[in-house]
Amino acid sequence: MPDSSSTITMPEYDLVVIGSGPAGATTARFAAANGARVLLVDKKQELGAPIQCSGAVSHNALEQAGVYPSPEFIHDAIYGFAIYNGKGEKKIIDYRKLKPDEYGTKEGTIPLGYVVDRRRFDRYLATQAERAGAEIWLKTAATGFRVMENGSCEVDLLKFNEPVTIRAKVIVGADGVQSQVGKWAGLKTHIKLSELASCLQFVVDGVETAGLLEIVTGNEWAPGGYAWVFPKGHGYAEIGLGVTRTMCTENAQEYLDRFIKQSFFKERFKNCRILEIQGGGVPLAAPLKIQYADNIVLVGDAARHVNSITGGGIHTALSSGKIAGEFLAQLILSGKPATKTNLKGYQDNWLKAMGNNMWKLYRVKRAIFDTVDVVKRDEQLYATMSGYFSTDSEYKKI
Amino acid sequence: MKTKEAVVFKIAWNACIKCGACVAVCPQEAGFTSEFDTIAEHAACDIACMFCETVCPVSAITHKMLAAEVE
Ligand SMILES: Cc1cc2nc3c(=O)[nH]c(=O)nc-3n(C[C@H](O)[C@H](O)[C@H](O)COP(=O)(O)OP(=O)(O)OC[C@H]3O[C@@H](n4cnc5c(N)ncnc54)[C@H](O)[C@@H]3O)c2cc1C
Ligand code: SF4
Repeated sequence: MPDSSSTITMPEYDLVVIGSGPAGATTARFAAANGARVLLVDKKQELGAPIQCSGAVSHNALEQAGVYPSPEFIHDAIYGFAIYNGKGEKKIIDYRKLKPDEYGTKEGTIPLGYVVDRRRFDRYLATQAERAGAEIWLKTAATGFRVMENGSCEVDLLKFNEPVTIRAKVIVGADGVQSQVGKWAGLKTHIKLSELASCLQFVVDGVETAGLLEIVTGNEWAPGGYAWVFPKGHGYAEIGLGVTRTMCTENAQEYLDRFIKQSFFKERFKNCRILEIQGGGVPLAAPLKIQYADNIVLVGDAARHVNSITGGGIHTALSSGKIAGEFLAQLILSGKPATKTNLKGYQDNWLKAMGNNMWKLYRVKRAIFDTVDVVKRDEQLYATMSGYFSTDSEYKKI
Repeated sequence: MKTKEAVVFKIAWNACIKCGACVAVCPQEAGFTSEFDTIAEHAACDIACMFCETVCPVSAITHKMLAAEVE
């Protein structure tokens, strides 16, 4: 007699979201809040850890995604930027001075942004999803899926090392830069070596900061990327950089060591003591041309929703999570099947809201990094970064 | 370094910071991964593009030729 017990007890959801970073947790929250039955799974035991992010995010990004800037996850407040060229000349863009009625510490003004602790931030976002009605399973890795005859699918999970299969109408691949879900669906997710910045960062003691995100451009310090000094709260700072490995012969660790010991900041960094070591890959790539397949959509880093000028991906992950969550809940409640044709609407909404601008940024980035003359390339990057963060930047929304 | 022969990767776990950059840049099919967010050590790689070795921020990845491993 066939064993039917597993099919009878198999849990059923409208949506299974794979990965509880900013993209996945936000998708889960908006889908659940709009009436979908959502399961959010993450293979980690502690969300956000080990940290692979500097945590800079604008106030505007949090507000748009309905995330209250809580002290639970904020390391420090940010009021502007200092952009350096390779020689140490700088352009300061301090919103406390440029727009004192809007940004600052005075009553009635707000910070421009924050540096968040990704461990606490990701946990907070997951809590929000859970409070909106999503179920969350940690220590649960998604390993594969099958499309069923009725148009829904079975998803294989490994939960505390126990194989569990669940049913869902849609799978959301929010599994980050190392996404496998897209590959399951045959989507072209591979990132070129020339478009993945290799990053390393140290959280340090003994380096003063002043409420600004400091960005150091220049081929000498970070070819195909930039170096940064961010405030981390409680007197700590973060020193890091990302390099494009097709544009240099040494690894990020060697560049970071050189930046600390030999750059125009060497005096400032003289007494820095390393407290944490983090790193990762940032796709300075175009968003995926196709971010959906039958039963599957991709959000966040998995769909390469990263700003290819700044390397920032939290804002874009939150925004695309909101777009995906709202769209998918609506599709499911309408009773329409999760076919490729129907899921295309998600990407259309995303392109309209932000995607077209992200493509534009990618083209700007390409034009800079394709410039062969190093002096010209350095000048272009310095000018573009300075313009990007200025008060009249056309890209303020991402 | 580029090689056409299949290779087997080895991760120096003491150096690896579990950042996943190697997986992100890997052109293999889904599943060429380890339990710790790195590219696989347990299977041979027949593409041998070495992008994973190159992108690793701390140079934690090395390889041996599969032929040498089998001997
Ligand atoms: C060094 C560095 C610094 C950065 N600094 C900034 C910054 O200052 N500001 C900014 O905006 N962005 C920054 N970024 C980019 C930012 O970190 C990412 O864009 C952002 O985390 C993307 O969010 P996400 O939700 O798409 O993916 P992630 O945050 O990567 O989340 C993916 C989740 O999926 C889970 N997962 C993966 N596979 C599976 C599976 N099979 N089953 C279950 N779970 C799975 C993972 O455990 C993880 O929790 C930085 C990146 C790096 C590497
Ligand atoms: S790129 Fe290097 S440090 Fe990062 S996970 Fe792979 S082996 Fe580890």
